[in-house]
Amino acid sequence: MSPSSSTAGERILTLVVRDAELRESMLGDLREEGARLARRAGAGKVARWHLRQSLSIAVRYGVMRILRRKPPVRWITTADLEPQGPWWTGMLRDTRYAWRATLQRPMLSAAVVFTLALALAANSTTFSLMDALVLRPYRFPGVDRLIVATTIAPESTFVDRINVTAADFREWREQSKTVKGWAMYQWWDANLSGVDVPEQVPGFFVSPGYFALLSAPPVMGREFFESEGQRGQHHRVVIGQGLWTRRFASDPNIVGKSIRLDGEPYEVVGVAPPGFNTPDGAEVWAPIALTDEQWANRRAENYGVMGRLADGVSLEQARAELTAIVDTQRNDHADTNLKRYARVMSFTKGMADPGAGSFISVWQAAALLLLLIACANVANLLMARGAERASEYSIRLALGSSRARLFGQTLIEGLVLSMGAVLLSMPLIVAGLAVSKASIPASVLRFIPGWAFIRLDLELFAVTAALGTLAMIIFSVLPAIQATKAQVADTLRQSGRSLTPGRNRQWARSALATTQMALALALVFASALAITAAHETVNGRLGFDKNNVLVAQLNLPERNYSDADTRRRLITEVSDAMRVIPAVADVGVVSIIPAAFNNWTRRFFPEGQDIPELEARTAQFRMATPEYFAAMKIPLMRGRMFDDSDRPESTPVAILSTTLVHRYWGDEDPLGKRFRFALDGPWITVVGVSGDIVHNWFDRRGDMVYVPITQQAPYSVAFAVRTVGDPHALAGDLRRAVAAVDADQPIAALESLDKMVEERAAGFVFISRALGVVGLIALVLAVIGIYSLMAFLTTQRTQEIGVRMALGAGRWQVVRATTSRAIGITIVGTVVGSALAIGVGRAMESILYGMVTTSFVQLGALVAVLGSVALLAAYVPARRATQVDPMAALRES
Amino acid sequence: MAPIYLGEFEYAVLLSVLHLDEGAYAVPIREVIEQRTGRPVARGALYTGLDRLESKGCLKSRMGDPSDERGGKARRYYSVTAAGLKALRATHEAFSSLTKGLESILEQP
Repeated sequence: MSPSSSTAGERILTLVVRDAELRESMLGDLREEGARLARRAGAGKVARWHLRQSLSIAVRYGVMRILRRKPPVRWITTADLEPQGPWWTGMLRDTRYAWRATLQRPMLSAAVVFTLALALAANSTTFSLMDALVLRPYRFPGVDRLIVATTIAPESTFVDRINVTAADFREWREQSKTVKGWAMYQWWDANLSGVDVPEQVPGFFVSPGYFALLSAPPVMGREFFESEGQRGQHHRVVIGQGLWTRRFASDPNIVGKSIRLDGEPYEVVGVAPPGFNTPDGAEVWAPIALTDEQWANRRAENYGVMGRLADGVSLEQARAELTAIVDTQRNDHADTNLKRYARVMSFTKGMADPGAGSFISVWQAAALLLLLIACANVANLLMARGAERASEYSIRLALGSSRARLFGQTLIEGLVLSMGAVLLSMPLIVAGLAVSKASIPASVLRFIPGWAFIRLDLELFAVTAALGTLAMIIFSVLPAIQATKAQVADTLRQSGRSLTPGRNRQWARSALATTQMALALALVFASALAITAAHETVNGRLGFDKNNVLVAQLNLPERNYSDADTRRRLITEVSDAMRVIPAVADVGVVSIIPAAFNNWTRRFFPEGQDIPELEARTAQFRMATPEYFAAMKIPLMRGRMFDDSDRPESTPVAILSTTLVHRYWGDEDPLGKRFRFALDGPWITVVGVSGDIVHNWFDRRGDMVYVPITQQAPYSVAFAVRTVGDPHALAGDLRRAVAAVDADQPIAALESLDKMVEERAAGFVFISRALGVVGLIALVLAVIGIYSLMAFLTTQRTQEIGVRMALGAGRWQVVRATTSRAIGITIVGTVVGSALAIGVGRAMESILYGMVTTSFVQLGALVAVLGSVALLAAYVPARRATQVDPMAALRES
Repeated sequence: MAPIYLGEFEYAVLLSVLHLDEGAYAVPIREVIEQRTGRPVARGALYTGLDRLESKGCLKSRMGDPSDERGGKARRYYSVTAAGLKALRATHEAFSSLTKGLESILEQP
């Protein structure tokens, strides 16, 4: 038998069988038989036979070792008798002893380490996401001195950071003394053409000095000169690293070359530093060049504003100053600035996605709860070990050891365990972060700054280690106190006779198990809620049919398409070109497709209802073709569809959604009613009522106004193409259809509608899944906790059970006696847990935009499942207790 | 001291060791049991059984010399101890006293 054919099996056996002689004989036996088998059946079969036999022996032997394991012989440290050196020799010695104590109960130590590592990994993964996405998404130098300033209406809850007018900004820049540098930026969907495939590139117009303000000077070339903010000299562009690599093959001579954006030549003057994509994933930046007339405009709220605080100035001082300036502007220009109030925030807060924080904090809270559960588990296990070692402590106390010494040593033992847990958690964190990164689709990433910072670094390691150590110190104090409370005489008198442990200790452990149970119930309930909501988001009722629809989104540049008729012509021609594709069933056009990232709302003033301008509610606003409703399968409930009679010069008409109609007219017949979007705007007549749709998952209001494209033509156009069969198969055809009409016009996004709905909810789905994992771990930990407690208690009572059975107690009576405590824990745990769960559910309802509804059916089902699992965990050891041979139990002492 | 109680499998293992006398190590022990009882024996079960019997004091073991046939590994030879013999006798006696009077049923072809 060749030695090479057997390594795997032999390694396993070597690992499991610790007895050297037995191991050698086993290995030899297998080799001998293997050689015989090889002669009979051929060498090919031997390897697998050998592995199978080794595994089966290893499993049986391993199980036997575990079942027959006797409490190991305790060593009693003689440290207390050793001469005292400097403090650190004592420390070293204690660490050595702690290490030995850890190895003495490998299973128990492994359980502690593993439990803690899981919880730490969950926490650190969450924390890393929180840190990278919410706390510190921007890390360029001096970011803490940067501010974001905007104006908002007093009643607005949503802070729109791109909401400042040019004239207002100019005055801020001139008057403020607390801010030493200012920059203004404006959204720009730049159409890159003059290349094989035109592409829409996310871009921004920025005021010269923008890169210097953010301390992110271009790595190649330069940033914009002040003079390039003048009309006529403003066709300069800085491109991002991504675009440079992707479209220009990292051309080292790119600076000075000309590229076509929105059909016009722009000279590349620089390449942004790697990773720089502020704001909102920008890949091209060009100077803002306004005419004097535009600079004087106090109506167009098109700009975002950032600034750098002057030296020694605090955010509060800048806020106070800017508030004063904005207040003056409001008084001086009451006609335009009536509803503008200053809002000044730190850069990080100002640029943050308002949604991400609350999501991740829900997750972080869950992870912290998980850590609590894990710590309860660990404390429970440590107390079990403490009980086991009571006699050791007593002997040491009797030998003259100080209680402080024992206390310290127990703590150090905890630290040794926590160190193991921290190390083990590292690969888990790496895996967790990798999964997190993989689960967010690329289309969403643009809006998530700080993505690149998600990784395991030294800081994260330090945080994890600190958390692990802190948790361990807190939770090994309990067993440590117990250790030092040991009453020498009592324990020694009892030694050998392990009686039922004292009431106090039992009480503490039961309380821990109850807490665990309650926390786990709340956590599992929370994750169940989130998962249900996420499922509902993607698969629930949307009001349209998301399947088999391919969506092509175009942004028409103002330069070529300033005339509404040219826009309409493009829409018609592209639609016609798409309709002739064989697998296309319907082509509809809408200004903003459901599940898109943007939305458009307008104030709604119904005729005959006296609503003051400030109190008008808004409704979502869309321009659509009649085919759009057919392509999306949005039903028309009443009235008529748009048709050829709706012309630019005919009566303005609209189709309203059911919810909107009900809001203003109740059960009245809405057809023929009129409304307008502004107090001085034209009246629009309602001609039809459509079904409600959900635009995106966090904004589920159903109000929607559709006006015909023949009367108002959008710049942003989405073609909704209903296909027969796989929509993605038609992507090429759609591209050709667009290119045939306007070769310079890129398709901004081409994606199937179901995918868009899914991606829109990706963050939510991801968080809910992450919560699910956390909940599952919590459940497992809680069950382990109850099981280990029950197993421990039952073992402690083996003698008592033996006596009872010898005296004639039936099996059922024994089971009842041993499980009564578990039943108590389960009842109290589920009651407290249910209360907690309802609270958590309510909190989630408010944080998650009413996406979540507390379901009592779900709660009931969970209580039933968790209760049964807990009782089962208690029953198993109880059942084993009844199988104890009474004689053996009594003899054991 | 009362004799050690033997399970059926342990009983079979001890008897096989007796049969094999000097040459009793795991491989032939397993073969003897399988041949004589006609029932398959898992190797893992045999090793744990041997280990248990040794810890009960029914068997003792010694290591042989390493041999090439076994890839340089030694055999572990088992022999029955006095306590083991006593246990065997007691078990045998128990079984035969139980079967006494049932020969007509048990020994039917």
